[in-house]
Amino acid sequence: MNAVIDVQHLKKTFNKEVALQDVSFTIQKGEIFGFLGPSGSGKTTTIKILTAQTEKTDGDVLLFGRPANEMKQSNNRKRFGILTDNSGLYTRLSIEENLLLFSNLYQLPKSAVKEALDFVNLYSDRKKKISQLSKGMMQRVTLARAIMHKPELLFLDEPTSALDPVNTQHIYNGLRKLNEMGTTIFLTTHDMSEAEILCDRVAFLHKGKIRAIGSPKDLKKEFGDESITVELKNGACEVIQTGEQDAEKLFHWMQSNEVSRIYTNEPTLGNIFMQITGSDLV
Amino acid sequence: MNLSMTRIQAILIKDYKEFSRNYAVSLMVLMPLFLAFLYSKSGSATIATYFLSINIAFSMVTTYVQCCLIAEEKEKNTLRSLMLSPASLGDILIGKSLFVFIITMVIVALIIFIVGYSPANLFILAIALILSTVFYIAIGTLCGLFAKTVMEGSLIILPVILIFSFGPLALALSSSSPISKIAEWLPSSQLVLLAEALEGTYTTMDVIIPMVAIIVWSLVTWIAAGFIYKKRMVD
Ligand SMILES: Nc1ncnc2c1ncn2[C@@H]1O[C@H](COP(=O)(O)OP(=O)(O)OP(=O)(O)O)[C@@H](O)[C@H]1O
Ligand SMILES: [Mg+2]
Repeated sequence: MNAVIDVQHLKKTFNKEVALQDVSFTIQKGEIFGFLGPSGSGKTTTIKILTAQTEKTDGDVLLFGRPANEMKQSNNRKRFGILTDNSGLYTRLSIEENLLLFSNLYQLPKSAVKEALDFVNLYSDRKKKISQLSKGMMQRVTLARAIMHKPELLFLDEPTSALDPVNTQHIYNGLRKLNEMGTTIFLTTHDMSEAEILCDRVAFLHKGKIRAIGSPKDLKKEFGDESITVELKNGACEVIQTGEQDAEKLFHWMQSNEVSRIYTNEPTLGNIFMQITGSDLV
Repeated sequence: MNLSMTRIQAILIKDYKEFSRNYAVSLMVLMPLFLAFLYSKSGSATIATYFLSINIAFSMVTTYVQCCLIAEEKEKNTLRSLMLSPASLGDILIGKSLFVFIITMVIVALIIFIVGYSPANLFILAIALILSTVFYIAIGTLCGLFAKTVMEGSLIILPVILIFSFGPLALALSSSSPISKIAEWLPSSQLVLLAEALEGTYTTMDVIIPMVAIIVWSLVTWIAAGFIYKKRMVD
C-alpha cells in the first residue's frame, strides 16, 4: 500500500477522439517517474486527470490510495504540487508578489518564499514583473510555486523545456534533493537524457498507450544489443559481440596495437523509443 | 465550503495590486466621478440626476471591474492555478467581490459628496446601496464567467450599462407607456424610486418593495452565475 499513484486501464476520449486508450502504471513513494512520449501522446491529459482537472472516461485512478477526484478537496490539494506549460502567473505582479500570494493560500511561513526563490535561483530577480521575464525565468517561477509548500507528490509537465544548461543542472540538483527528502516526482519530458539522468523508472507513451515501462537500465538491457564497436588504426570499424569468441579477436588487435577507439553500442532511450514505436520522439 | 480569512485576504490584496496597475480598467473608475462633477456644475439638483451618476458607477465600476477581473483570470489561466491551490471557489469569489465592494463604496460616497446630495434617511439609503452593490457584483460575475477574454467581457458589459444605468431615464416617460412599466422594475429604477420616496413622507411598503425587488434581482443573478460556472468551468 505504498503506491502514491495507481492507474489501471485509464481511458480518455475528447468527444470522439481517443487521447488515452488503456494506460496502467503504479508509482511508489519516493520514486522519480518519467512519462515520455511525443507531442500529442497524452502526457498532459494524464496529469490533468491525476490532478482532478479533467474527468477520466474509464478506468481506475488512485492517488494516495484514494480516487483522484478527491484531489479537488482543498486539504488534499496541499499534498501535491504541479508545474504545467501554461504558467498561470499574474503578469502585473512581481515574482515575489506571485509567490507571496501562493504562500498565503497555502498558509506557509514567510521564509517559504525565500526558500523557493533560492531553489530556482531567482532570489536576486525577485522584484521583476512577470511580464518582463523570459520563458525560462517564467518556468522557474512556476516551479518555485509548485515546490513551495513541500508537497508529497510533484507533477512536472516538461519542467526544463525552456531552460539553459546551467539552470537545468541547478533544477536537477534541487529536484534530487527534494526527492531525497521524500517527494515523489512524476515528470513528463521529450528529453531522453533528462529522463536518464533523473528518473528511477520511465514509461514510453505512444498514441495513448504505454509501450514499455521500467528503469532506464533495464530497458537498455532488454532492448539493447550487447555489441561493441572497435575502431582500428587503419580506419576499419569492427562490430563484435561481448563473449569469449570475440574477446579473443579484441585481444589480438590490442596486442598488435591496432585499436584506436572502443565503444559500446548501448542504445539511448531515444533509440529504444524509436525501436518500439517506429516513430521519433518529438 | 471551506473558507479562510487568510486566503480571502490574499486574494483581495492580489486583486488590488493587479487592478491598480491595470490602467485600462482602473481609469474607468474615474469616469463616473467626472460625470458627477459635470452634473454638479450644471446645477440640475434632483434625485434623478444624482442617481444617474450613481447608477453609472454601479455598471462602470462594480459590474465592469468584477467582470474584467474574472475574465482576465480565465484568459491568463490564473484561475486554474488558484483552483489547484487550497483556495476554494468561495475564497476566490469572496476575496474578489470584497475588493470590488470596497471600491464601489468609495466611489459612490465620493459621488454623493461631489453632487452635494444629502439624503433624508442615510441609514435606509445605505442599506439600499449595499444591496444594489451586491446585485451589480453578481451581474459582473455572470458576465465575467460568460466571457472568455477581457475583450469579450468589455463587449458583453455594454448592454448591461445601457439597460441598468440608463433604464431609470424611462421613468420620466408617461407612466402608461409599456417601456416605462418595464423599466420601473429594474433594480436601478427601484433605487431611484426608493430615494425619491425617502425625501417625502413614505410608508413601510415604499421601502420594502424596492428592497425586495433588488434582493430578488440579486438572487436570480447569483443563481444564474452559479449555473454558468457549472457549465463553463467543468471540462
Ligand atoms: N481539451 C481538449 N479537447 C480536445 N482534445 C484534447 C484536449 N486536450 C487534449 N486533447 C487531445 O488529446 C491528445 C493528447 O494531448 P496531450 O495534451 O495530453 O498531449 P501531450 O503528450 O501533453 O503533448 P505535448 O508534448 O505537445 O504537450 C491530443 O491529440 C490532443 O489533441
Ligand atoms: Mg503536454
